[in-house]
Order: sequence, then structure tokens, then C-alpha cells
Amino acid sequence: MSEPNNISFIREMFSDFYSKNADKIEPPKSIENREFGFSLFKENVMVRHKSFARIEDLRDFIKKNVPSNVYYSSAYYSFPEAKMDEKGWLGSDLFFDIDADHIPTKCNKMHDSWACKSCNFEGRGKAPEKCPNCGGESFDERTWPCEVCLEAARVETIKLIDILLEDFGLSADEIKCSFSGHRGYHVGVESDIVLELDALSRKEIVDYITGTGIDAVFHGLDEIRSGSSKIIVGPSLDDPGWRGRAARGTYDFLLRASASELKSLGIKKNVVMELVEKRDAILESWRRGGPWNTVRGLGIKGWGKIIQRGASLQSANIDTVVTVDIHRLIRLPGTLHGKTGLLKISFPVSRVEEFDPQKEAIAFKAGEVKVYVEEAPELRFGDEIFGPFKSQAVTLPTQVAIFLLCKGAARVVD
Amino acid sequence: MLTLSDLAKYPFLPEAAEEVKRLDFSIESLLQPDYAPILHRAEERIVEALTKSPPEVSYDPRRHNENVEVLSFPAAIILVSAVASDYVKKRFALAEARRAYNLLKVEDEEKIVEIAKRFGWRIRLAGISLGLEKFDFALHFVDYLRNASSFHEKGWKLVNRLVIRGEVYLSKQDVARLLQEEIRRYIESKIDPKMRSILPEEIVERANSIRKGYAENIREEPFNIESLFSSGVESDFLPPCMKELYGALLAGRHLPHIGRFTITAFLLNIGMDPNLIIDLFRKSADFNERMTRYQIEHIAGQRGSGTKYVPPKCDTLQTHGLCPGMDDLCKRVRHPLTYYLRKKKRRAG
Repeated sequence: MSEPNNISFIREMFSDFYSKNADKIEPPKSIENREFGFSLFKENVMVRHKSFARIEDLRDFIKKNVPSNVYYSSAYYSFPEAKMDEKGWLGSDLFFDIDADHIPTKCNKMHDSWACKSCNFEGRGKAPEKCPNCGGESFDERTWPCEVCLEAARVETIKLIDILLEDFGLSADEIKCSFSGHRGYHVGVESDIVLELDALSRKEIVDYITGTGIDAVFHGLDEIRSGSSKIIVGPSLDDPGWRGRAARGTYDFLLRASASELKSLGIKKNVVMELVEKRDAILESWRRGGPWNTVRGLGIKGWGKIIQRGASLQSANIDTVVTVDIHRLIRLPGTLHGKTGLLKISFPVSRVEEFDPQKEAIAFKAGEVKVYVEEAPELRFGDEIFGPFKSQAVTLPTQVAIFLLCKGAARVVD
Repeated sequence: MLTLSDLAKYPFLPEAAEEVKRLDFSIESLLQPDYAPILHRAEERIVEALTKSPPEVSYDPRRHNENVEVLSFPAAIILVSAVASDYVKKRFALAEARRAYNLLKVEDEEKIVEIAKRFGWRIRLAGISLGLEKFDFALHFVDYLRNASSFHEKGWKLVNRLVIRGEVYLSKQDVARLLQEEIRRYIESKIDPKMRSILPEEIVERANSIRKGYAENIREEPFNIESLFSSGVESDFLPPCMKELYGALLAGRHLPHIGRFTITAFLLNIGMDPNLIIDLFRKSADFNERMTRYQIEHIAGQRGSGTKYVPPKCDTLQTHGLCPGMDDLCKRVRHPLTYYLRKKKRRAG
């Protein structure tokens, strides 16, 4: 969004969208207790500590000011407009952010890039800690939503929802799902049950969902001595909670684990050999008490490491900082993402498997715009594929053009 | 149904307060000669809290009269309020809560449920077995977290618990320990040093004499936070984990061994004076200056093998539940000391 021309064009399009689709803007529960924040096109500043008594007032404000991004607080306050320490915190929704940025996919090396802010040195993939050219630590990063990344985020979202339903006992209508408008999903719980959880308790919930600090000895892994012999017992596939998850993850891991993966866990060479050679027998043993006594030389410690690795396959990769923050500002559903021009759009939990962000988040459905594209990878919008583009003028459907303009990868051609 | 003997064991329950009201007991009545045994037991409760290690108020049904037990508890709350010391407040609440814990551990399951419900817990008898373990109780996860989230032992992490449909499955011992924490906080909340100004003079005098008589046991040194950082240590540069541990120390919250080791090794490594670190530990309810000094000097490499210790790296801290969640800089480093040095360098550069 460098050129003033582009910005005024994008703003005009956003303005047009909001004038026709203000009813799509979703009011959060107890709107009067929420803080709202907006970033504006013109000054590129953040306006915070706003509040609205009714959804109509908020919609009017958005139509009038046409912000580039609209946020609301996950927290409820007595005085949402007051200074931070005078707002009077009443509670906060339990909120999860799943973003492809946090999920390592093979494709980000292909489509993501970065440039050092001090020397303009460029590279592909995720930005390094330090610029290899000048040692700078600050970068402009350009990331793209792609099919693979979005799919990876969906898988994590499904795992998260399963834990919330099965383990935390939340009901599907207490859970709100949405596409973030860029590279991930948001999952929010607006229930009185979770309202007053403090940051420390939310941290424990985060660790539960990410499997952080899990130890198999608390999930049934044990060694029993009878006379001179020892037998190992462990979790079963159909056990509830993390117990069953750890067992299922271990099953999945052992199904595919290569010798080098097993070795990297610190397991001895001869044991690794046996694990690989006996793979079928081990998988079969889950029907009868589990594999715990099928591998010679593999004790409770080694199994502990394998189970831990298995558990990591069952955990959901969420942004841990967002959930613990009880004052977080979150993009409002039904508004446009300033970096993509896509809609943040809600959908019911039951649709998580079939929801198509590249189709359903499209806000601009009519017309075409001619733009000059610097560089962009192949992109899908709806049922059509566009690009890749490199230094070329092209006429594109409005949504695709706006997307590239918002990304700063294109400019408007008269 | 709760009997008088239950109330003697658990005098913080609302029914005990009703009993106190029914007996028409007031602050003024404490001063009447008839009530001398009550005031005496109240003082004893506080003295036991201050002198026993670990802190614990005693309970012996053969030695202690039930009515005296019920009435001496609110009397002790009044006296502790009059002492107006943060240390005594915390120590007393802990000692009373530990007394309750030891009684609850061997209590009837139904009675435990009844007591827990007085604190608003959503708890029920579960009686299920899984593998080799038996789970007697199921507790709503929010009630669990409210009490367990400050425990640092690995086994208390929610991820290491059996959680099914919103309930955490627990043993009797677990529930007793969680109730100890609930009771401790509840008792702390009942002690109000502001009460001192409206209490009869005789009560305030009794409180003052406890203060004087046990001054040795009351480790409360006024110290200010700024002075701690006069040795060039900047609190702004602390990583989130160290801020958390540091805050816990300042608040006198209990830290597990690994937490104490971590913050001590960290502060020593960034150049804080060992004497200042000892002062930091003074607020802990179980502070022992000689032992603390020994341990700090050991970590500093001035004793034993001479090895100077560094704090654990980030993933070890995560495993031990000492990482409160990462900020942007955390994601770029693997060790809390690197975080500090980076921030310091950034400020200088």
C-alpha cells in the first residue's frame, strides 16, 4: 500500500462495499461493553478506545470513516472508552488464533519473501533472525495465503474444535468460527463459563491444546514389577482426553516413523531397528493392551519420548500469545482485512471441513480492474486460478485486483 | 449435614459463621473473662502459624473443645487483622489451610463435596477407574484452574490431567490440595488490616504483643523495588518468564524449587548483588535466611564445586511450566539470558 493512488482507490472500494453491505458487520455479544479500534487509510494510525451502544452506531461509523481494519476487544469493560487501567475489566471471551504464519508448511519457501528494512537485501521463506548481508533485525515480510497453507490451518482448527467439544465440554453453538481474512482461522468462545478465567488459567488451557509439558507418566504409562519381571502399561487408543490422544498420536507416529526420526528422539540404534522391523506387529498389538512390552530394550523412558512425539501430532498449533492476552483486539467479523481486501467471515462449527475461504471470503463480486503487477504467485479465487504474475499489466476481477493492491504487489493502471 | 464437629474442623465455613452469630459472639465479648479460653486459642492458632515449620495450625479433637475451635477462628482473624502485617496474614492463612488439608485428606467423600460446594465448586462424585488409577471426583475445569494454575509441579498442569467434557477427574488427595488453595485465598481475603483502627484498644494491644513476642519469626523487611535495580539491572529488559517469577517473589507467592533456582541463577548472571537477591526471598512464607544465602552462594559458584550456574534454556522452562507465553523477541531466542542481553544491546545501540 505504498502509492497514494492505490490507497485512495482501495479506500473508495472499501467505502462502496460498506455502503452496500453494512448489515454484514456482526455485532459481538454485549456490544456496549466492548472496546473498538480502527486503523485508518489516510494517516495509517490506529484509533482505539471507541465504544458503541448499538450495532447501528458502529455500522454508521464504519460507513462514514471507512477504516482499513476494524477490531473489537475480546474483553468486556465497564468503561470501554477509558484509559487501559481505568476500563474496569469484567471478563473476556476465550479466543484462539490459528495462523499459517505459525505453521511450518513446505510451500512458504516458495511463495513468501522478505526484505531487510535497512539494506533491502531480499530472500524467500520466513525472515531470518538477522539479515545475512547487514545484520539488521527488522524486515518487511510478504506472505501469501495459498491452498496448502490454508489447508494446514484448517487441520489445526479441526483439532482445536475437537478438544474444545470433547475435553472442555463446550457445545457447538458456544463456539464461533471465522476465517481471519488472510491466512488463518479464529475460534472464539463467548460463554459465561470462560468469562472470568485469568491469564494464568488461559495459559494452562493453551498448554493443554498445544500439548505443552505433557508427560506420559501422568497418562497411564507405568512400570509394574511382579516378582523378578517388569511389565509396562500405557494408554489405550479409546481412552478419553489426552490419554487417548497420546495413544492415537503414538499409533500414527509409529505407523510412519523413519529410523532417523526415531533416532533423533535419542532411542538406541538396536531398538530403532526393532521398532522399524516389527512395525506391523507393533500396530497389531494395540488391539491387546498396547505395544509397551513388544520391543526389547525399550523401557518406560524411551516410550515416554515416543508418546511425547506422538502427542505432538494430536495437539493444535495455535498462537499462544493471543489466547493468554485478556485485553486483545480482534478483527470484527463482517469487515474487510486491510492487507487483503477479503472478508473476515463467520461460519458454524459444523461447516469447518467444507468451508472454502477462497470462495466465501470474496467481498467484491462484480467488475474488473486493470492493474500492473510487480510479482505474485499463482492464486485461486473462487473456482479460477490467476497468475503467477511478473512485471505485467493485466485486467483482473475486482477482488483479485484489490487483493494484489492491498498486498502492495500491484498498482492501478488508468 | 454438617455437625458441630465438622464446624470445629472447618471453622471457615458459612455454617460456622452462623453458629458464631447464634452464640451472640462479638468482638467486645472477647474481652470478657468467660471468653478467655477462646482468646487464648485464637492467639495459639497465630503462634502455631508463626512458629511451626511447615506452618500449620494443630487440631486434636481430644484436646480442643469444639465450641472453642469454632469461635477462636474468627477471633484469630480479628487478631491477625490487628497485627496488620502482610507476612503474618499470609503465614496464618497458609497454616489454617494446611490444617484443613490434613483433615480433608481423610474426610468422607460426600462431606468433601459438601464443603467444596460452599466455595461454589461444580464438583461431583465420579468413582471411575482408568488403567490402574481411580478417580473419585469430577470437578469443572474452571474451578480446577482457579486453584491449580499457580501450582508449578508438572503433575498439576491441566495437560497432565484426565479431562472429559469439561470436568477434571481427581483423587481425594488432589481435591484436598485444591481446596487448601481455595481456603487459603478465602482466609487471606477475610483478613483486613484496616480493621485495626476500629478495634477495641485491648485487642490491638494483644496483637502488638504477638508482634513483639514473635518479632524473630516475622520476616518482613520493608524494601523498595527500585533499589534492587540499582546494581545496573533493568527490569524492562526481563523476559516474560523472569518477570513472572520476579513478580511472584515480590508478592511472596510460593515458587517451586526449579522456579527459585531459575530466577536466582538469572539474576546472578545479569549481575545482581547476592544480598539483594536474598532480600527478594524475604517475602516467602518459608523464608530461612541462612538456607537462602547458602543456596544463592551455591548457584553463584561460591560454594561446592565452584560451578557458576546459568538458568535453564527456554524449552526446559516450557517443560516445567515456567514459560508464560512468548513475546516477539522470545521467538527469536532460545535462552532467557540472550533475551536480556539483546534488549540491553538494543537500548544501548
